[in-house]
Amino acid sequence: MQLDVNLGWTRLDAGGNDNFKSGKALAVHFDYFLKHWLAADLGLYVSDKTLEESRQDIVGAYRTSIQSQAVLLGLKPRYRFSSPYEVYGRLGLQYWRTELEVEEDFGAGIPGGIDSSKDTGYGYYASIGGGHYVTENVMVQIEFRHMKQLDLFADTSRFPFDLTINAFSFGVGYRF
Amino acid sequence: MCISGFVSDRAGPSAVSKGSEGMALIPGIVLAVLVLSGCEIDGSDNLPRVPDQGLFMLAEVNLHEAEDEAQVAAAVFNDGVPVNLTGGDVFEARTATERVLLMKPGPVEGSYAESLPVDNSVQDVFLNIVHEPVEARASRWYPVDLLNIDPGPGELVGKSAMVSFPLPVTIQTPVADTVYTSITDTVDFSWIQGDNFDDDMRVLSAIECTDGFATSSYGTVVEKEAVPGLDFDDGVEPISLDRFIFDLNQGSSTIEFLSDAALALMQELLNQLSAGNIDPDFLLRQRNANPIESNCEIRLFLQRRRQGQFDTAFDDGSVTGSTSSEVTILYIPAVTLD
Repeated sequence: MQLDVNLGWTRLDAGGNDNFKSGKALAVHFDYFLKHWLAADLGLYVSDKTLEESRQDIVGAYRTSIQSQAVLLGLKPRYRFSSPYEVYGRLGLQYWRTELEVEEDFGAGIPGGIDSSKDTGYGYYASIGGGHYVTENVMVQIEFRHMKQLDLFADTSRFPFDLTINAFSFGVGYRF
Repeated sequence: MCISGFVSDRAGPSAVSKGSEGMALIPGIVLAVLVLSGCEIDGSDNLPRVPDQGLFMLAEVNLHEAEDEAQVAAAVFNDGVPVNLTGGDVFEARTATERVLLMKPGPVEGSYAESLPVDNSVQDVFLNIVHEPVEARASRWYPVDLLNIDPGPGELVGKSAMVSFPLPVTIQTPVADTVYTSITDTVDFSWIQGDNFDDDMRVLSAIECTDGFATSSYGTVVEKEAVPGLDFDDGVEPISLDRFIFDLNQGSSTIEFLSDAALALMQELLNQLSAGNIDPDFLLRQRNANPIESNCEIRLFLQRRRQGQFDTAFDDGSVTGSTSSEVTILYIPAVTLD
């Protein structure tokens, strides 16, 4: 079994003309090894509130933000070299819960405000990473993660979208 | 643009109180264009004819020859100050079968522009200020029907205007690619008369000059106030070339640069004619080459204009339907030996 804790920098892409700043996220994975090269991967992903750059259009000034959590379930193949290095991947499904918030300002004399909505749904995730065993049980690792949340707000809006989260993370793994 | 202050159509009494501030803004618009240009043209005779008091509607709808889309530009002024529509309030232009929202802010603060599909059967275009909290946000990426902070309709919503198109314009002279060598030359316009002698004529221009190293591009307008003969659709009008070409060093008291809705309309027309391959600030681009010493391509747009009607809720207005035709002439200054 192995416990991985990764802290990453995220880039969000909602598929339109969105322009998110980079954000941060924490991922915790519990791996149960079915074979020495393959583990079942159970994870939890939590992002901070990621802000978009402020925009201005004919309606007014606005800024969106997204905050997301996800439960991850998949497989983690790995290959350990004779040297104290290891490469690994993750591939699986996610169940996500995402909150989208919009803040609008219309100028002097007109009340602006904030509106938000939450949605849940399914998607997938994939990762590739590498680690270095500091001790027989402790590994430091880097990982590139790609997550896709599908059909956000499809049940409540005529304008659903898919959310892509790419993240580059550093972390620690502990085998026990 | 250097214009930072604006009022909103919801500002109500506060907008009125900003009248004196706004009066300074109108010259500011013109000044901004000129400052951006870097030229020393006296713009004092180039103020939009917008009164200092009251609610004023400015709208232009132009159908260019052989085009299946009309260009629509509109603006509202309150006590001389351009009003920014906001919060989902937006100009709507509609015919019996088509409808567009004027979602593109024009080059000048407070002006809006869009292209409206039309066909030969279209005679009238109706302009309305509507409140469309979802449609107005259509360019945003997120679910605007779900997340929508709607302040409700502003004070201008419900106000309207209507324009009709006059007969199409057919230019007879000058012929394309006629070369002029001096700004004292005269461009002899002639065209086939329309069905209403009282229609106004107007000449818009989009000019690009190059001296081999630098370029300049800008737009001008020649109207009946400057050339009284344009007050009637009589089929002929000589116009001096110095209404299009000027000396960057000397300035000019005759040239009138495009401003407000006319500028928005012209930019939209150029965009349409070039299938979007036009500099979005073509008519505002900085002037580096001195036109009088440069080779210039002068695209002349002769417009036949017919006054429309505006809502009685407006104190005053200028609402115009027009048709236009284009001819390109060349200015190639005569080489002088020092």
